[in-house]
Amino acid sequence: MIRHIETEATRPARVVVLGATGFVGQDIIRHLNESGIEAVAISSSDIDLIKPESVEKLRGAIRENDSLIIVSAITPDKGKDAGTLMRNLTMGQHLSAFLEEANCSHVVYISSDAVYADDANPVRETSCCDPSSFHGLMHLVRERMFAAALQKTKTPYLILRPCAVYGARDTHNSYGPNRFLREGLKEHKIKLFGQGEEKRDHIYIKDLSRLVASCLLHRSQGVLNIATGHSISFFDLAEMIARLCGNGVEIEGSPRANEVTHRHFDITAIYKAFPEFKITSIENGISETFDEIKRASQG
Amino acid sequence: MIGYAGLSHLGIVSSIATAAKGFGVIAYGEDAALCDRLNRGEMPFFEPELEELLTSNQSRIHFTENPSELSRCDVIYFALDVPTDENGVSDLSSLDKLIERVVALASNGTTLVVLSQVPPGFTRKLAGRIERLEAGRSLQLFYQVETLIFGRAVERALYPERFIVGSSDPQLQPPPKPYLELLSAFDCPLLTMRYESAELTKISINMCLVSSVSVANTMAELCEKIGADWSEMVPALKLDKRIGEYAYLSPGLGIAGGNLERDLATVVSLANEFGTDDCVVDAWISNSRYRRDWALKVIHREIISRAANPVIVVWGLAYKQDTTSTKNSPALFLIDALKPFSIRAYDPQVVLSGDVGSNFFQTSSAIEACRGADALVIMTPWREFSSVSVAQIRDAMAGRVVVDPYGVMDASACARAGFSYFKLGSPSLGSNCD
Repeated sequence: MIRHIETEATRPARVVVLGATGFVGQDIIRHLNESGIEAVAISSSDIDLIKPESVEKLRGAIRENDSLIIVSAITPDKGKDAGTLMRNLTMGQHLSAFLEEANCSHVVYISSDAVYADDANPVRETSCCDPSSFHGLMHLVRERMFAAALQKTKTPYLILRPCAVYGARDTHNSYGPNRFLREGLKEHKIKLFGQGEEKRDHIYIKDLSRLVASCLLHRSQGVLNIATGHSISFFDLAEMIARLCGNGVEIEGSPRANEVTHRHFDITAIYKAFPEFKITSIENGISETFDEIKRASQG
Repeated sequence: MIGYAGLSHLGIVSSIATAAKGFGVIAYGEDAALCDRLNRGEMPFFEPELEELLTSNQSRIHFTENPSELSRCDVIYFALDVPTDENGVSDLSSLDKLIERVVALASNGTTLVVLSQVPPGFTRKLAGRIERLEAGRSLQLFYQVETLIFGRAVERALYPERFIVGSSDPQLQPPPKPYLELLSAFDCPLLTMRYESAELTKISINMCLVSSVSVANTMAELCEKIGADWSEMVPALKLDKRIGEYAYLSPGLGIAGGNLERDLATVVSLANEFGTDDCVVDAWISNSRYRRDWALKVIHREIISRAANPVIVVWGLAYKQDTTSTKNSPALFLIDALKPFSIRAYDPQVVLSGDVGSNFFQTSSAIEACRGADALVIMTPWREFSSVSVAQIRDAMAGRVVVDPYGVMDASACARAGFSYFKLGSPSLGSNCD
């Protein structure tokens, strides 16, 4: 579902990351720095995309032929309501106004698998986009806003739609690996919705950053889902984390409020776009994350 | 005398089968060198038993690059295979030119029969064109459904299950005597209907086949996950009279070969034009593309995620056994998706040419391809492969992974030999990933 403009890996002149202080943006910057790719971090404290003057500031900060990665968004943990949706869209509107006249070499938008219908199994890039949340709707609208803006300048445009991302530096407390690790380490108890029957795919943050870098090197365009292709239940995930934490971490179910839904990904498009890419298994990713959290707490 | 215009697979097989029924045949094609080869009894492609059939009927068939020879024929078939693009969309331009050329030369009273794969509506439009072109000659036009199967074309051509013939009006236009004599020689039921019905019947047959295969693919995937074995279940399904013993229930690696893809594309196009519902057809196409990559997913999960620079062996390049056709062959899609890795391939009939990649190497024997390899993938179920022993494979290979979608090898023997074994519709044996 993506096409490489550069068939041989070609280092971009400079990469600008918008939303660089968030969990995902930070790790992308880390990876680009480690890979020797010049990366410029721009956060909301540098340019607040909610404000109309952000358009002019973006013009000042982003050069012609920069590769641009857009991660900026107000995340669901800060609001899931219509107001948050509208603020996110306002940010998108200002970015679009900038993109319409910019001459970036490549634009990568980090969207979300929330754009897909809840029952789109297995999820592929061609699956029906029918978001059930404002968060998914926001991403879908922004994807299209940017596409329309970039069409005017014929700038190569890539949309990445990751599943739930985990890693040691995640500040969000959403249901899944990060919360389970915190609960396991601090409270010695992991709390599940229902009995944790739902199966989900979780991608390790370092895999996401590596894939973003690979896409930059090839100036890839199109749509690509980012997932492992292997979904596990929240219960199995909790058990995995409980084993790592040791000390008899308890897994506690709760009365089910919502019906059980599952999400699986068909990641053939990753295999085809990056045949040599090795995806980190959930076992190895969680283990690395656990070790990193432990090291950070000891250091 | 029976004439054939268009010397691709359909025209060559059909003309030889007609000669085999005792009729004199003139078969016309533009390529003089091809006509020479055929007149010498040489086949331009592999089709089981066809060369022998030609040899034994050579005296009754003449291949020629001169279209005017067709003027001696009572019946002329247009039998050029219609090529398709990667989306299954037909290119009718060559057939149109052929028809134009031949109609101009046909004698008064000739029966013209379209055997090529044409979309519904084609023959009636052609009848209108012929009416304008015939200039005093009395030419009658029919459409006849072809149901040849690559690899079984001789059997299908000599012993058809039935003839389906379309005419402008089946009540007013029965097949003329010479055409009827030819059809009668095959001793099978004859069903006549209007052009559009016959054209859509061919597509409907293929839709039924795709539907069955899609059921098999969908259920086979579930089998792989929940520990059921599709091959154990199929005999039970086939004893159900509503399904039947000849139902297409073998799971596969997606629809290939070109013909079914063409009919799927035609139905989608017609549904779009006339506003009819085609969601189920979209689902079949989607399922076909999904299952095409089954082997790629297994290889990534079992080999590429674990081994650095693996050597992968691909047995079989044709889209199915007993044919040299590689149209939409799953093997070629697989090889393309594995370009960075070392691929050794073997096929009993197909030799790939052109840019397959610098890491691709084709060997002259199945076992030679296996030497030192990490994984064996059997993409075409050629009979020859089942005669290679598991012990030979084990001795030749360095790795211990066999991906055998069609179950060519003995699964238990592979597992006993220490291989991880993967087959469509069955739980894997010996995998570390399940």
